Amino acid sequence: MPPPPVVATSGLTKRYGDTEALVDLDLEVSAGEVVGYLGPNGAGKTTTIRLLLGLVRATSGTARVFGRDSRRDAVAVHGRLAYVGGETSLWPGLTGAETLHLLGRVQGRVDGAYRDELVERFSLDPSKKVRAYSKGNRQKVVLIGALMTRPDLLVLDEPTDGLDPLMEQAFRLTVHEARERGQTVFLSSHILSEVEALCDRVGILRSGRLVEMGTLAEMRHLSALTVEATFDGPVPDLGDVPGVGSVVVDGRVVRCHVRGSVAPLLEVLARAGAVGLLSREPSLEELFLARYGGSEPTGDA
Amino acid sequence: MTPDAPATAGPAMVAGGTPARSTRTVAGGLAARRAVRSGALWGVVFGITVASSALGYRSLYRTTAQRRALADAYGTNHAMSTLFGPAPDLQTVAGFTAFKVTMALMLIGAVWGLLLGTRLLRGEEDAGRWEVLLAGQTTMGRATAQVLAGLGAGVATLWAVTAVATTLVGRARGVHIGPGPALYFALAVVATSAVFIGVGAVTSQLAASRRRAAAWAAVVLGVAYAVRMVADAGIGLHGLVWASPLGWVEEAAPLTGPRPLALLPLGILCGALAVGAAHLAGRRDVGTGLVPDRTRARARTGLLGGTTGLAVRLARPTVLGWWVAVALSGLLYGLIARSAGSTITGSAVHQVLAKLGATGTGADAVLGVCFLILAVLVAFAAAGQCTAARAEESSGRLDNLLTRPVAPAGWLGGRLAVALAAVTGGGLLGGTAAWLGASSQGAGVRFPLLLAAGVNLVPPAAVVLGLGALTLGLAPRATAAVVYGYLGWSLLVVVVGGIGGGDHWVLDTSVLHQMSAAPAVPVDWTADGIMAAVAVVAAGVGLAAFARRDLAPA
Repeated sequence: MPPPPVVATSGLTKRYGDTEALVDLDLEVSAGEVVGYLGPNGAGKTTTIRLLLGLVRATSGTARVFGRDSRRDAVAVHGRLAYVGGETSLWPGLTGAETLHLLGRVQGRVDGAYRDELVERFSLDPSKKVRAYSKGNRQKVVLIGALMTRPDLLVLDEPTDGLDPLMEQAFRLTVHEARERGQTVFLSSHILSEVEALCDRVGILRSGRLVEMGTLAEMRHLSALTVEATFDGPVPDLGDVPGVGSVVVDGRVVRCHVRGSVAPLLEVLARAGAVGLLSREPSLEELFLARYGGSEPTGDA
Repeated sequence: MTPDAPATAGPAMVAGGTPARSTRTVAGGLAARRAVRSGALWGVVFGITVASSALGYRSLYRTTAQRRALADAYGTNHAMSTLFGPAPDLQTVAGFTAFKVTMALMLIGAVWGLLLGTRLLRGEEDAGRWEVLLAGQTTMGRATAQVLAGLGAGVATLWAVTAVATTLVGRARGVHIGPGPALYFALAVVATSAVFIGVGAVTSQLAASRRRAAAWAAVVLGVAYAVRMVADAGIGLHGLVWASPLGWVEEAAPLTGPRPLALLPLGILCGALAVGAAHLAGRRDVGTGLVPDRTRARARTGLLGGTTGLAVRLARPTVLGWWVAVALSGLLYGLIARSAGSTITGSAVHQVLAKLGATGTGADAVLGVCFLILAVLVAFAAAGQCTAARAEESSGRLDNLLTRPVAPAGWLGGRLAVALAAVTGGGLLGGTAAWLGASSQGAGVRFPLLLAAGVNLVPPAAVVLGLGALTLGLAPRATAAVVYGYLGWSLLVVVVGGIGGGDHWVLDTSVLHQMSAAPAVPVDWTADGIMAAVAVVAAGVGLAAFARRDLAPA
């Protein structure tokens, strides 16, 4: 029998009064996967994570982590995971070192050498009091506090909020290491390049509903390819070519999106004597914006 | 846009780039709204206190002979004047009311002022909301001045409501307080609120956090009260009365022999504190204090091995402060108990003490009332621990623990255990300190008796803890309102009920009424047992509810 998925939700729903924070979420994350979780503010990302952590009760449906109920068996589940939130609040009177000591003791296991390495990597001064830290430095304490326990599952809710680009780089390196060690990562973010760089699979959430879930390759396949062709003669009319849309002509250059097979388009371009051709897969940003109507690369009706 | 449109409405700039009036006064407007609401609420409490005292006296001391007996006993009693201030005229409703409520209202008003002042100045800054304001068309100094003006509106409201209530009470049959004296009385009583708003405003500039600013202001209040006590103790140091703002109010003598000039230094002091605070605010950075804060420390990890150890570490500074306050109060009460007790036996004071439940003789009777005051201190410390637990949750700090292998009920249970240990320590210290004070004066009160009286302070505080746990489990956002509201109610019931009879069922709702007035009477261990049982059941239900509910942010 294969081991149970690390995270498995079924029909997971959370309502606050009339507000539907999360509706009917079915999600599975297997061991060793790095899954990105995207959505605009208020889409239900944090609600999902608080349900997975057992901090709030589901209105209906189930959330299982390591095969156990995330609420009822919260203490056992928490022994194997670590969580980093985006809005971090720590005890202002404790120093960084004291906070890390406390968090390690409460968790029950710490890789001391790795902790020291992380303190070094994130250039944290642990002798300062939390009160004197900047937001970014407080975030580093929370990150180190989670990573130093080498958990089987890392639950990260916009973890790089407040980190500068250098520290963001250090964070990516650390997640790569975690993946190589076989740790599972659930990363909620609105920094698309971060998700694109780190994640095997991506889910997109909208108004509490999961609207897309798949590998980036799968999602790109569903979306349009951007094609740009240059001619030294007249530009052909691409309007009737099957699968082609959003045609823009700019002098001798034509840009369009193509869905499905590119063969019909290539035939027309070749016949018209194209001298240059560029094609590009949509970025995660384009996929994401398409989902929210901010741009038109998919040409959805 | 009308001139008095809400500060948050409308465009920030008017044509020509001149800042609109609203953006300059937004800080003051926000502060005024909160201060006025709070001032109105406490004005009602002040009014009820004045009414209960005046009407209670009217019905209890009907004849001239009764009133003269009361005056003979109280008027010359230094213990009473040490605690409550001098009592120059106890033969009229007005004079008795002034004696009965002035000190209590002054102290409550001063605490109100320092808490509100530090909350609206330093608390807003700690929460990061000032940065939003200061990015607008204002500076630190100006924003501070505006908030002070808003706080001034709060004091004005407190004065107005208290004055109206006192005037209405004054019109009741047999009370005889004219509108003029009523307005003057209200002014004298709320003057300390204004002073301690000013003190809080200055400490808000000196300290780097609201908690510390409030603690420093509370120390100033404690010193002011202690100086006034010494001045009124009848040991030839009455001149010291001018060294304490509380003494100035006493010298202003509302309702007895008004000396309005004595209020002048209060006005000058308020102005100086306000100007000083605004000036100091302009000289520091946002989020810092003028007294440098230690930003580095060597790691002390002894207590940081788990959540209960963390609770001890977090509660330690506050609890030590309460312990010092309880121990000093107990010592002081012990010191005055003998001289006070010797003058009251068989007197009318004795009857009043008896109505507060202290039916013993001499020093015991006085200590019975004093331990009631200690019970209030200890119960307030318990309430503070409940709101501190809620603050861990509402700030999100609790997330760091409950996303690790920590059971919610275990965390809350640990906090309650630490709080119970803190109030138990307070009770034992209070009893021991009172015994030290009393035996140094040869009062002949036995140690086991006072230690038992100290233990007797714990059950009411435990009920407050249980109620706090219950609220935290069922309606977390109401925790502060419920614990402080219940404590205020309990206090009001014993103060009012102690003078004016009061319905048995109403009296029974007060946890301070349930407590026996030891050492004046033997400790009622049955009542203590019932209170302990109520506390345990409430805490148990609270723990279960807390474990079941969603975490609730602010």
